[in-house]
Amino acid sequence: MSKGKKFVALSLMTFIALIIIGAAWGHHSPADTTGPAFTQLGNYPKTTTNVPVSQAGLNDLASSSAHLGVSINFTWTLITGFLVLFMQVGFAFLVTGLTRAKNAAHMMMMNIAAFAVALLAYYAVGFAFQFGGIAPIANLGGVSPLSGIFGHGSAGLIGTHGFFLQSGGTYDVGVMVLFLFEVVFMETAGYIIVGAIAERISFAGFLVAEVAIGAIVYPIYGNWLWGGGWMAHLGTSLHLGHGAVDFAGSGVVHATGGWAALALAMHLGPRIGKYNEDGSANAIPGHNIPYVVIGTLILIFGWMGFNPGSTLGATDLRIGLVAVNTLLAGCVGFVMAMGTTNYKYGKPDISMSCNGMLAGLVAITAPCAFVAPWAAVIIGAVAGVLVVYSVEFWDRRHIDDPCGAISVHGVNGAWGVLAVGLFADGTYGQGWNGAKLNSVHGVQGLFYGDAGQLVAQLFHVVIGFAWAWGAMWLIFAVVKRFVQIRVSPEVEIQGLDVPEFGVLAYPDFVLASTHVGGHASVTAASAKPAGSDSGRTS
Amino acid sequence: MRLVTALVKPFKLDDVKEALTGLGLPGITITESKGFGRQRGHTEVYRGAEYTVEFVPKVRIEVLTDDDNARRVADTIVNAARTGQIGDGKVWISPVDTVIRVRTGEMDHDAI
Repeated sequence: MSKGKKFVALSLMTFIALIIIGAAWGHHSPADTTGPAFTQLGNYPKTTTNVPVSQAGLNDLASSSAHLGVSINFTWTLITGFLVLFMQVGFAFLVTGLTRAKNAAHMMMMNIAAFAVALLAYYAVGFAFQFGGIAPIANLGGVSPLSGIFGHGSAGLIGTHGFFLQSGGTYDVGVMVLFLFEVVFMETAGYIIVGAIAERISFAGFLVAEVAIGAIVYPIYGNWLWGGGWMAHLGTSLHLGHGAVDFAGSGVVHATGGWAALALAMHLGPRIGKYNEDGSANAIPGHNIPYVVIGTLILIFGWMGFNPGSTLGATDLRIGLVAVNTLLAGCVGFVMAMGTTNYKYGKPDISMSCNGMLAGLVAITAPCAFVAPWAAVIIGAVAGVLVVYSVEFWDRRHIDDPCGAISVHGVNGAWGVLAVGLFADGTYGQGWNGAKLNSVHGVQGLFYGDAGQLVAQLFHVVIGFAWAWGAMWLIFAVVKRFVQIRVSPEVEIQGLDVPEFGVLAYPDFVLASTHVGGHASVTAASAKPAGSDSGRTS
Repeated sequence: MRLVTALVKPFKLDDVKEALTGLGLPGITITESKGFGRQRGHTEVYRGAEYTVEFVPKVRIEVLTDDDNARRVADTIVNAARTGQIGDGKVWISPVDTVIRVRTGEMDHDAI
């Protein structure tokens, strides 16, 4: 036998021996292999029978059980946060698959750079702006140093504690858990914009956009809804239902990202060749449909953290319904988009069907905790149809959105926010946002008798659009005077990879070379030396 | 000596290869290629916008052969690759001046 085969045989024998030893050992000490021992009280050690029940003992028991509850919630919130973090991978696959091979390295670099840069911006100021003055969160232990907010009573505008996770005494584990969960939500708004600005934005312009999202656009609006700001208090200040309600962020996260993306797409203009002189649109097919499908599946998996995690605790057993509603809406959205494209274009469109799944997920994100499963199905179904017509709508207006970010996240985010005001059935959210503390009902929509809730949701839709679109539009109206936000036409035509980063995503599959100073023959893509500054933007 | 060059539908490659192997040929070369012929490309819809697939994928097959065998090779490829639909491709035969085997330096007929 050769050396390699010997090694394999030896490994196999060792493996088999270990299984035998393990099996034999296991029979000697069978513990609790199926779990019932933990559920039968009679199996617990009966030490208490020998000790009289004391107040000290009861206090100790209460304290440790409360600690256990908080520990479970910390674990839940962290792990769901990690799932949301993984959505970054899904989005990178999705948007890279939906664009052309000549820009693939640029797309991937934007995705990872967005993550790092926006995270640091959020750490520095964004988190403080958003959550610097939030009310204590009972699920995460209650007491919190995040108690500084600018604006009085029910008119809070911006948080003031927690800059660099330091100011206002925020060196605190509860704050850290909240930061981790919330920073990955901000990242979601941050990567949404990539889909609408792809294949033409300069990297420098993109980084400015990410800082703007992480530090200003997302956190300030987030404060108004989730950080104790004025829109959450519409219930107490204007008697509109439970105030603007957005469970996991159809509006706060997705619509904000989508409308900010719209503002950027308008500043940038369409890709070269997207629209004809007669106004009709050309298709610019993505280069990797399998990436699109993988990305979408990773995103629905991550959404199992996004929505259920937004309880900030597993002691809130509503998480079961939240997860199921999320799945239902995503799958119905997929099926409806598949059917709609089949009806309109003769074949099911794969990328649009994937957009339909995401549209359903985005739409259910705000109402997921407040509606029954049948309502989740309707919300997802509307989203799946809406996304197809929305993509056509923006195309007719010559807003070039290569990945459908505006339609999936902006339009369907708005639909999800409204859906709370229609379908919320009053079984959850008693006292939400401090409203109707004496009421036995939770959040109720129009169909359950509370028209005020729908008005509060309309506030959320309209002001959300005005803020996200307006703030981003203004910021870039200034920024584009100082930074070249769009690459030159030559760079756009040859692909952004080499001019912006000096490397191709797929060097072996493109008739181009990245050799610098080598003997490689000159081809179309390398006709400009990598060092030329045609694509440099700063 | 002759060079037989064929452009065929990619899914017909296996049929062509088997038919040629049956002739006892020493070797063939294939290349992935794209192009259009009289029918041009075809139209599809992507995210609501129509587009034309301008270059249709094809496989390019090249066979070096003796003068006597060239026509037989070409006919074999034609028979194996035909579906009767548009876009079945083309086969052509061209004269070859010199052939050299890289390893041994053998020339012409010895090198085929």
